[in-house]
Amino acid sequence: MNHLPEDFIFSQSSLQDYVDCPRRFQLKYLLRQRYPAPEVDDLLEFERRMAQGERFHHLLHQHAVGLPAEVLQKRIDDDEVRRWFDTYLANGLNDVPERRYPEYSLTIPLGAYRLLAKFDLLALSDDKALIIDWKTSRHVPRRDRLQKRLQTIVYRYVLAKGGTALNGGQPIPPEQIEMRYWYADHEGQLVSFAYDAAQFEADEHYLTCLVREIEERERFPLTDDTTRCAYCTYRSLCERGITAGPLDEWELDEPTDLDELDFDFDQIAEIEF
Amino acid sequence: MRLLKDQQRVASGYFDTTIYLDGIAGTGKTTAAIERVKELIRSGVPADSILIWVPQANLAMPYRRALQRARIDADTNVPTTTIGKLAYEMTDLFWPLISDDEKFNFGDKFGRPNFLSLELVQYYMTKFLGPEIELRDYFNSVHISRNRLYTQIVDNLNKAALVRFEPDKIGDRLKDALGDSVEQSYIYDDAQETASLFRQRCLEHNLLDFSLQVELFVNHLWPLEQVQNYLTRKYRHLIVDNVEEDTPASHDILRDWLPQTDSALLISDTGGGYRRFLGADPINAETLCDQCQVHITLDNHRVMSKELVALHDQLDFSLDPSKTDEPQSDADARDAIAYAPDINYQPQMIAWAAEHIASLVHDQGVPASEIVIMAPYMPDALRFSLQRELDAQQVPHRSHRPSRALREETASRTLLTLARLAHPHWNLPPNKFDVGYALAASINELDLIRARLLADVLYRNGKLAPFTGIKNDALTQRITFDLGMRYQVLFDWLQAYQAQDPLPLDIFFSKLFGEVLSQKGFGFHGQTDAANIAANLIDSAQAFRQTVSEIEPNLDIPTEYVKMVEEGVIANQYLRDWEDDQRDAVLIAPAYTFLLTNQPVDYQFWLNVGSSGWAQRLYQPLTHPYVLSRQWQSGRRWTENEEDEAHRQTLAYMALGLIRRCRKQIYLGFSQYSEQGYEQRGDLLMAIQTMLRRLNRSDAHA
Repeated sequence: MNHLPEDFIFSQSSLQDYVDCPRRFQLKYLLRQRYPAPEVDDLLEFERRMAQGERFHHLLHQHAVGLPAEVLQKRIDDDEVRRWFDTYLANGLNDVPERRYPEYSLTIPLGAYRLLAKFDLLALSDDKALIIDWKTSRHVPRRDRLQKRLQTIVYRYVLAKGGTALNGGQPIPPEQIEMRYWYADHEGQLVSFAYDAAQFEADEHYLTCLVREIEERERFPLTDDTTRCAYCTYRSLCERGITAGPLDEWELDEPTDLDELDFDFDQIAEIEF
Repeated sequence: MRLLKDQQRVASGYFDTTIYLDGIAGTGKTTAAIERVKELIRSGVPADSILIWVPQANLAMPYRRALQRARIDADTNVPTTTIGKLAYEMTDLFWPLISDDEKFNFGDKFGRPNFLSLELVQYYMTKFLGPEIELRDYFNSVHISRNRLYTQIVDNLNKAALVRFEPDKIGDRLKDALGDSVEQSYIYDDAQETASLFRQRCLEHNLLDFSLQVELFVNHLWPLEQVQNYLTRKYRHLIVDNVEEDTPASHDILRDWLPQTDSALLISDTGGGYRRFLGADPINAETLCDQCQVHITLDNHRVMSKELVALHDQLDFSLDPSKTDEPQSDADARDAIAYAPDINYQPQMIAWAAEHIASLVHDQGVPASEIVIMAPYMPDALRFSLQRELDAQQVPHRSHRPSRALREETASRTLLTLARLAHPHWNLPPNKFDVGYALAASINELDLIRARLLADVLYRNGKLAPFTGIKNDALTQRITFDLGMRYQVLFDWLQAYQAQDPLPLDIFFSKLFGEVLSQKGFGFHGQTDAANIAANLIDSAQAFRQTVSEIEPNLDIPTEYVKMVEEGVIANQYLRDWEDDQRDAVLIAPAYTFLLTNQPVDYQFWLNVGSSGWAQRLYQPLTHPYVLSRQWQSGRRWTENEEDEAHRQTLAYMALGLIRRCRKQIYLGFSQYSEQGYEQRGDLLMAIQTMLRRLNRSDAHA
């Protein structure tokens, strides 16, 4: 039985949620159920880190559209963010091709649906296509864990499959693609992943099978790994605990959906109505 | 759907020029535009170089859905925008280019802007203007609620930004046209003083309301080469839908932008302009036609049945005294309507509507989503009665009402009451009724009667007592041990919370929700609506804290927030509310809300057809949509004739616009007496009766 609406869009976040816990995927993306329990124990510190991440991404966007670095530096009132921005100026754009697309989104067909990737920065030259994801997390995850994350899989695959319009009408060969995680809090430490045709085919097979599995599911079971439930807002709905897990042990430590703003910008005009 | 020839021209041609496309609602303009976007993408145009621009965010949904479903190999993630969204995004991105400019006099030239949501605008209006209104005795002859007063001051500032006149000219414009009496002139002077004061205070604190965002973008950012280049180079193809519902600010930007595009399609709904009271200017929109190289009109109506076309033409004739030739139709307008002639009171009308809807859904297999019930206004009592009747008939329903207060929702009230109990130092103890109500909502299976008993016995002097405090065995048994223990869990949690430093209110709500209320056995467990409302309240309290703490770090933010909600602040609206609301359910909405969704349905139920609300503008003593429009000539006076003509036009636009969005039939609900017991004989009813008499006379002559 297919539960997916015809206009459903997959993303690295939704697929990661499915892999982590099918029930979480169902609640969040199919039923669109909001459940505002805490994700972590220290919500104020969590919020502070999210705001720092958001601020840092915003500064980089402003810099990318041509605002001078010194103008932006004058406006930073957070020491950590200033340090990150200085690190970015020192090495964040080293070896980054000149044709740059900040905050760039791309969708491609995936089965009967579409798959979305939102890149922090895409940079292209004649023989290179670089995906950069700016990270402000306190920990640098192990390389093998990053490699398995859906973000690494989805971003490279989407660019290889759907980057044609950015490449003069020609597909971008997988061998030209590199995915780079850049860690602001670790002096710009890089974790890079190359790509090739074999990995592209493996990813296509994996993603297609994943979507087919979701389509054909009758039930969306809870994860067997109950340690995840401590950081899931649905824990009470699933009867998997009462309190949220400690922030310091949280794996992601990173804003994941910075651009999920869905405010109605014109709402103020509607008051009287 | 197969496209007609002119639709195909729009969809597949003119990729290197500008088109002005018009036609009445239902002629397939948006369908053609969606196909055009797909064709542009198929021809190799990057999706992110196309921009879909609409006057109201939900009007972009048909584009988004169609593109998400499209079987196209290339990217289809086409951005959509409104003037408000563009103003917000550009101000946020390019803020450093203007923030230290002396002419604005921002309080913190190197600080970030604070964008004000609907809730925060209301809060700061109260904070900045409330004391001044008291002190200076402003508006002493105006007898409307303070909230409505504020919304009209906001409205004036918005009009100044969207129509593009100086915000310090609001009072003069109103006085010149409407200030017949000294008293009225004073009101407009006060409106000017308060608007100027609010703007000044916003600038001092880097607070950007909608009007200031639009003004900064349109007047100061857009003229900058860096900003204009950024936008015009990024978006090479424009699709502008419902341009007649957009404002002069949008039209002016588009006038500059059109010559710089590779292609553009501007779409105008002939006979539209329903958002006039929000600054829409269909006459100004028409001037963009001259800017376009190609003009195409679609005139093949694809929504209305021939009976509805006849009804449209006949009612148009009745509503427009300038028309002299009676319309000729090959169908009978009376076949497009159904009505119950002998109804005296509103409850009978509601029952009549519900019965017919149930018959359509259950007997005739009509999808519930193909039915809409509307009235000029949809007060709580009418909405509730309709919902109850539809529930009794087992018909699914949904309602969409902007301007809903946060405090009106049970889940919000429950969380706020529990917050007061958990923070005795606020000195805002809830009353016993609210405590009982909150306990009933918090504990699953605890009915209101037993909840009130608990409140009677265990709530004293602003504090709850433990369940073990009940010494009366009969009462303990009546409550039951099981429910008593759940009460005790809630009590213990509140006690433990009070033993620590208080948390910010949004975090308190989140923990209370997660650790108690949403746990099994409690009232929010698995309750999707309650969880959604709790989530909105938490978002609201968080946004309030984050902004207000920036401006006044020493303020007692939780109590300020609670007081704001108690005063009836109208909740923020979110696009997700529109997007999530796709259930197969009958829509209950004010008529304007339905019109502005721009989606036709098979069956419409018009209730309170006799109400004068179909023709009348809202009572707005501080503002005026016609005088504060670009079409208003300086020096003119607004006369009674113009008021009458405005009423007639309002009614005609509304009634004809609704008919154009109906495929099969309109049910007319009429009760002789209104909810308040007044006889109802409004202009819409008169026009319909005139039309029916004329048609009956024609039959008799034949």
